[in-house]
Amino acid sequence: MKSRTRREFGRLTGGLALAALGPQLAASETKARVVVVGGGIGGATAAKYLAASARTIEVTLVEPKPNYTTCFFSNLYLAGLCSLESLTHGYETLAQRYGINVIHDSVTAVDPVAKTLELKSGPKLPYDRVVVAPGIAFNYDALAGYDEAATQAIPNAWNAGPQTQLLRRQLESMEDGGVFLLVAPPDPFRCPPAPYERASLVAYYFKQYKPHSRILILDAKDSFNAQDLFLDAWERHYRGMIEWLPAQFTGGVKAIDVKERSVRTASDTFKAAVVNVIPPQMAGQFAQQIGLVDQSGWCPVDPTTFESKLQPGTHVVGDATNAGDMPKSAFVANSQAKACAFAIAATLTGSERVPPHLFNTCYTFLSPDDAVSNAVSFKPAAGTIKIVDNFVSQVQESAETRHRTAREAHSWYAAFTRDTFG
Amino acid sequence: MAAASMCWSTTSLSLNDVVVIRAMSKGIGDRKFRDGAGLSMRKMIAVSIAVGSFILLADRSQAANRDGGTQLAAMCASCHRLDGGDGGIPTILGMGPEMLTRAMLAYRSRERPSHIMRAIALSLSDEEIATVARYLATLNK
Repeated sequence: MKSRTRREFGRLTGGLALAALGPQLAASETKARVVVVGGGIGGATAAKYLAASARTIEVTLVEPKPNYTTCFFSNLYLAGLCSLESLTHGYETLAQRYGINVIHDSVTAVDPVAKTLELKSGPKLPYDRVVVAPGIAFNYDALAGYDEAATQAIPNAWNAGPQTQLLRRQLESMEDGGVFLLVAPPDPFRCPPAPYERASLVAYYFKQYKPHSRILILDAKDSFNAQDLFLDAWERHYRGMIEWLPAQFTGGVKAIDVKERSVRTASDTFKAAVVNVIPPQMAGQFAQQIGLVDQSGWCPVDPTTFESKLQPGTHVVGDATNAGDMPKSAFVANSQAKACAFAIAATLTGSERVPPHLFNTCYTFLSPDDAVSNAVSFKPAAGTIKIVDNFVSQVQESAETRHRTAREAHSWYAAFTRDTFG
Repeated sequence: MAAASMCWSTTSLSLNDVVVIRAMSKGIGDRKFRDGAGLSMRKMIAVSIAVGSFILLADRSQAANRDGGTQLAAMCASCHRLDGGDGGIPTILGMGPEMLTRAMLAYRSRERPSHIMRAIALSLSDEEIATVARYLATLNK
């Protein structure tokens, strides 16, 4: 059964209302066209807010996968605390309720002069503006012995989906008393607290089912995000279970031996029952392919419109951007995507534009009932984006506060994924 | 999405739609109208034609304010459901502009504790708080 969509209603009412001013305005060929490439948090949010903010913009979202599994909260899945299905979201609502033209395909080429995108299946898509949200790619060159093929034995599990499932299976089949070795990446990378949240929640799982097991973190850094909160929680919840070795102790990870399931640092070789290598990261492959990436490995963007500094008319949002002080997180991608959508709508339709408000909020689980949060506001300044205020949970908070934050985190997930996927 | 009526519950509308429905609801003075439940699509369209020019004029005169309100409220929607759904994170619908403004000022001054809301409240000017409070009030009268 064909259902009425918002877009259809928009045509009926908006069309009729506009007809009073001049019928030519309602004709579909005068609509501005925006194509969004990539259906993660940044891409989906940009598409939704473009479609919702202006009926005169025709929005197309190109994403090869039929649905998206969120990286945030996937550490709960690794600990056996939720299903992967509960973290998976489709594009049906964006298509049906917001009238977004969702195409499950890949973009193979962009012609910024003719303003067309070429799809893998053949057709070309004309556009007035394009928003690119390609997420991250892994820099395998930095770790000898580790590449895409190796992830089938030693998962990176840093894009939620089959890799996360593989790591979960390995943790489940590991015998009690085994070592789980986690290789943590250098900055900048997707979701700064996540490797340490992963260690925390895997420790929670071990404590229940494999209490003699241990976790070793080999870090490329000498300190990490919210370190005092993690170290305090590890002492309270998982004493003696988690060992963190900073780069200054090991000289950094140099090579991975997939067959031996071992990791070599400058000083030692560590063997483990289960290994998770989170590789160094850079802007998603599509951004590299179409020339949006500079020598930093990320995409330089205008701090208010998120238009590429390298390719006018193309906007980039989410993890792939080099956005000053903004970290690579789902919340940031959502926040950037809204600013970008309103900026594009203002350019294409003349709507009023207020200065963008950019935020990051982050909920981190130390155990299922012990969560902390972080809130940061940002502001465009001198061509980049600077932190204005940064508030974070404190070490001495009560158990009740932490429990409340954990409950709040679950409610936030529901609201946030609804804000993104409709 | 199976039924047309689904499209018209306030739970399934974008921010702008809710504003349009509100304007329509004001225009015909029927409080039940905004729920949409039980109204056929045909009736909805008929009413929308009747109030179409009203909406357009209202939209144009308040365009700047509405665009500002929409964009500021989009920030709230990252955590607060603006469709009336609740649980854990308190709803901000139905508070009224005065209460919402008071709450934001209390977060800003730390009189009410929440570091997330404090960061938000500090980043907004008094005028922006008033704009978003007025806008949110229109979503749930």
